[in-house]
Amino acid sequence: MAREWIECDETAKQFLTRVLSERPFLPLPPPLHRIPLRAGNVVEIVGPSPSSKTRILIQAAINCILPKEWKGVNYGGLERLVMFVDLDCRFDVLSLSRSLKQRIIRANGNGVGHKLNKVKDSLSGSKDAHAEYDKELFADSMRRFQYIRCYDSFEFLATLKTLQFQLQKDKEAHGTGVYLLMIDRRSLSLQSVSDTVVQEIQKILVVHPMLVLTTKAASLQEKFTTRGFISHSNRNTGQLAVESTLDSRTIRNSANVQLYREYMPSVWQPFVSHRMLVRPSDDNSKYQKQPIYVSEWLLPSLKLSDKFTINDDGSYIVS
Amino acid sequence: MPLLSSLERDYPLIDSDFCKFCASHAILSVEDFLLHDLYVLVISTEQHHNSERLKEGITQVLTIINKQHQPWVDGRELLDDALQNKRFLPTGCRSIDAFLHGGLKEGYLTELVGTSSSGKTQICLQTASAVAKNWGKIVFLDSGNSFSPKRVAQIVTQTPDLSAYEVDKALQQVMNNILCMSVFDIFTLFEVLHQLKNNLRSQIDKHIKMLIIDSISSLITPILGGGGAQGHALMVSVGFLLKRLAHEHDISILVTNHMVGGERGTSKPALGESWRSIPHVRLLLSKDHIRNIRSMSVLRHPHMAAGDRVEFELQ
Repeated sequence: MAREWIECDETAKQFLTRVLSERPFLPLPPPLHRIPLRAGNVVEIVGPSPSSKTRILIQAAINCILPKEWKGVNYGGLERLVMFVDLDCRFDVLSLSRSLKQRIIRANGNGVGHKLNKVKDSLSGSKDAHAEYDKELFADSMRRFQYIRCYDSFEFLATLKTLQFQLQKDKEAHGTGVYLLMIDRRSLSLQSVSDTVVQEIQKILVVHPMLVLTTKAASLQEKFTTRGFISHSNRNTGQLAVESTLDSRTIRNSANVQLYREYMPSVWQPFVSHRMLVRPSDDNSKYQKQPIYVSEWLLPSLKLSDKFTINDDGSYIVS
Repeated sequence: MPLLSSLERDYPLIDSDFCKFCASHAILSVEDFLLHDLYVLVISTEQHHNSERLKEGITQVLTIINKQHQPWVDGRELLDDALQNKRFLPTGCRSIDAFLHGGLKEGYLTELVGTSSSGKTQICLQTASAVAKNWGKIVFLDSGNSFSPKRVAQIVTQTPDLSAYEVDKALQQVMNNILCMSVFDIFTLFEVLHQLKNNLRSQIDKHIKMLIIDSISSLITPILGGGGAQGHALMVSVGFLLKRLAHEHDISILVTNHMVGGERGTSKPALGESWRSIPHVRLLLSKDHIRNIRSMSVLRHPHMAAGDRVEFELQ
């Protein structure tokens, strides 16, 4: 009996192979590309409204539902199911379908593809160009996107409780498992039921390892009041002019730092393994059609921040 | 959420034994079931003599819970529904319709924000007459006695190229299709909306295409503030109820909001941060008194950039 304790269960190689196949790494589009994310991680994307949080989710979903290869063309997708829980009830399926079409057309190397940006959806004369995309592939991919909307926290709890059965059913129906669970929530407050929500999701993740992406609205505040105070004291203290100018400089620097208020209860915070902050960048030139956003990883905390822009074509890093 | 004991009639597995077992875990209703850890519950049935039957009861309650939430749909069905069922309703002003790529979309909650006398009520009345003429019924919830049948008649009779007989017929049609109701506080609003939801579900009112609430901010502002969270909770509930009505019954909902002073002398829409993310489309109306033209700009739209503007004239 004592010998069983000492004998090993599996070698390190077996362990690594098993973990990598059960909880693989998911390559995600920018701005989520800087940190390797695996099934089992919970990523929270926070930002004031409007930043492109839902559009980031849509781009990640497209990456997941497209197949790796179809009829000889490489799409670089994962061919897995995505479950999207819409707690905001504001999801626009037309933007998902537009982005998916653009991706398919672009991957086909169709030269006409990039001109289609200016053309309005489906009603214009260049219908032939639109018809170039593979309808079967489009339908197949769209079927891998599972959507549900919850109008209040009890509907959300009911969804979570029955999610296990749903996941099992989908696995049998489609033959592939689910890799991404997305929870889009801005204004629904889950304070009273957050314990149960976290427990349920943790249990589900043990049996069906998935990458969870959630969005959350945060409010950013700027420290304008301290700046006003320092300039007032500058006027009054003439002798201490040197010191107060130094003070005002440091205060001015920190006035640009924006505070991030954490709303979520203490149960939720350790549940989240990664956190990213997204916000619209301050220097938007008036002539640019595409708004630029700044993303910054808060957890794990990286010192650099990315500037990116996002539209129907996909998301791109700027500068 | 029903009490477990009341479900015995429809679901014979949920008998008094089961109810007693659940009561021993402080579970009295389906709601309590949702908050409880099911695995712990299943393990605790092992201690009872009829554990098999209790487990079947738990499965039965789970199937009830499965009906409590919306069904899962896939992207294909969602897209079909968006393309076929959700059409655009006209606002009565051609430049606005062109600006919004067709008009006000069914299934969307559109908010018009503006200072007083920027044209919100006028646009509401104009939209009401345009939709009532050709599309279907409208429910107009009026919180400030701003609905005026005379004004609607004026808008209808101002349509050019119609003979007197046709104008009369159009007027009859429009007046028959607009259902106006005065609502002065948020609780009456909830009552009206719940009644509307039941009527739509049971198909009593089949032809309602649009719901206009002028103005929703005057109904919500009295309950906000005071430091309590109940006002915000009521506001968010109204928002979600409206979105549900819009999506499930293919209705376009138009609400109006006023403006308040923001920081550093600018003005911002009322109702605060929590309301900001509730409407699908937010439009800002303003009137330039010097040039006497009105303009509408986008604050938020699913696929238009914020800041897009159009100038138009109202009749």
